Amino acid sequence: MSQIELRDVAIEYRKPKSDESFVAIRGINLSIDKGSFVTIVGSSGCGKSTLLLAIAGLIPRARGSIRVDGRDVAGPGRDRAMVFQEASLLPWRSVHGNVRFGLELQRWSRDNVDQRVAHFIGMVGLGQFADYHPHQLSGGMRQRVNIARALAVDPDVLLLDEPFAALDAQTREVMGNELLHIWEHDKKTALFVTHAIDEAIFLGDKVVVMGKDPGRIKDVVEIDLPRPRTTAMLDSAAFVAYRRTLRDYIAADMQSLQMIEDAA
Amino acid sequence: MAVAIEIERRRALSLARIVDRYYGPAVSTLAVLAFLLLWQFAATRGWVNVRYTSAPSQVFSAAVDVFRHDHFLHHAWVSFSEFSVGFGVALGIGLPLGLLLGSSQRLRLFVEPPLMALYTAPRLTLLPILIVWLGIGMASKVAVVFLGVVFPIIVNTIAGVREADPRLLQAARAFGANAPDIFIKVLVPGALPAILLGIRLGIGRGVLSIVVGEMFVSEAGIGHQIMTYGEAMQVNRLLVYALSITLFGYALTLAVRLLENRVRSWRPQP
Ligand SMILES: Nc1ncnc2c1ncn2[C@@H]1O[C@H](COP(=O)(O)OP(=O)(O)O)[C@@H](O)[C@H]1O
Ligand SMILES: [Mg+2]
Repeated sequence: MSQIELRDVAIEYRKPKSDESFVAIRGINLSIDKGSFVTIVGSSGCGKSTLLLAIAGLIPRARGSIRVDGRDVAGPGRDRAMVFQEASLLPWRSVHGNVRFGLELQRWSRDNVDQRVAHFIGMVGLGQFADYHPHQLSGGMRQRVNIARALAVDPDVLLLDEPFAALDAQTREVMGNELLHIWEHDKKTALFVTHAIDEAIFLGDKVVVMGKDPGRIKDVVEIDLPRPRTTAMLDSAAFVAYRRTLRDYIAADMQSLQMIEDAA
Repeated sequence: MAVAIEIERRRALSLARIVDRYYGPAVSTLAVLAFLLLWQFAATRGWVNVRYTSAPSQVFSAAVDVFRHDHFLHHAWVSFSEFSVGFGVALGIGLPLGLLLGSSQRLRLFVEPPLMALYTAPRLTLLPILIVWLGIGMASKVAVVFLGVVFPIIVNTIAGVREADPRLLQAARAFGANAPDIFIKVLVPGALPAILLGIRLGIGRGVLSIVVGEMFVSEAGIGHQIMTYGEAMQVNRLLVYALSITLFGYALTLAVRLLENRVRSWRPQP
């Protein structure tokens, strides 16, 4: 059963200092199965964030329809939660306070909120750090808080916009593994944006490849690797083949960018 | 052996920490003491004319005298109540107005130009008008304190709200925040350091306003006494009052600064 359905979606932004609009993405058709892990790759500026924000209900669409569990998306909702990049934590709140933030906004009953918060802080391995403030944490720890904040509101769909982009390669790998671990536990539908090809393959059941000018979906690649995924798979023949396919797609995009720059 | 070295090292470390911690205050205290000593010395040696410069010992005995026989508490109370009322009203109006203006660009377009003009205008020049309007009693002084305090609070609150990180606003909205949520949970806490800065600047301006206002025209108050003793060439007593009001402003500023440090503790210390 597909849980998220996008039909012919287009998003436009107003160009700065003019009345013209700029088509960020268009002609987006996508079905995402309940409980699946879908990754979105594409070069920078192809509209990955735009697509995710539209599903989150944070930006209006110019045309098309977005449905989650059959309901039209008209704004943010309890059924979806978003994991942003690290700078989206409230710097004046502790880890506990930040994870509590989403629950407060969604008016969860106060009775066992703090217990719930503690549970999710423990789940991402930050039990010792509940009273720390974001500036006292490493980038990886901040992203654990971000993930805990999203999980705590018990969404059906998890939307992650390059959550590990600011992390070093090692931390990134560890975080990817842990995210999968958590996901395998309750199989929430996950939509994960990245520009790292390996990460997209390693995490995803499907990789959505996006291209630019205008932002669009070029292809959706099914990743037929067994779960649980292990780091050893990174060197398997199948993985290498996926990597090559995706790299060619994105390289094509880079070439067209090069042509534009040359022409200019 | 290694243990002994370790203990030795720790002792040295903790000593270094103590020196580090008290170095600033110690130097400041020494500087004040040195100044007082030099002042006293210059006066007793006759390097300066004590009639104009006074001396710490004389100021001290004048202080004893003032506190006993000069209705000091009455004058302090007059100034303090004028200051408090003016300050309270300025806070009660400036803070909500600043929050409102900070979150509405349209309102800002209307109000900002006259606001900035008033902020930069030398407001003490309005004093004669205020006295014509409000008389020489408490009201005119309250008004001049109000004018001194309200603008730094408004302007800094606006700045604090406008600097709100759009990524935080977006995160809040993603979790379903409505406008009051965003206001209370994101904008106000984010603007708090700036608001406190506005309050601290306001204190300085408010204290100055009260003294000048009372010096200009009044029946009682610290400024009134400073003027009186100035005209009578009683430098000792004048200094007692001037020092008292300085200490008041300093203590209040210090208190707000401590609060600021607490509020800023979530930021990496520079
Ligand atoms: N708020 C905005 N206003 C105008 N243009 C925007 C805005 N956000 C993104 N864009 C433009 O839309 C395109 C897609 O952006 P984005 O979705 O952020 O890409 P990605 O996340 O893939 O890097 C880019 O060309 C970007 O400049
Ligand atoms: Mg992006």
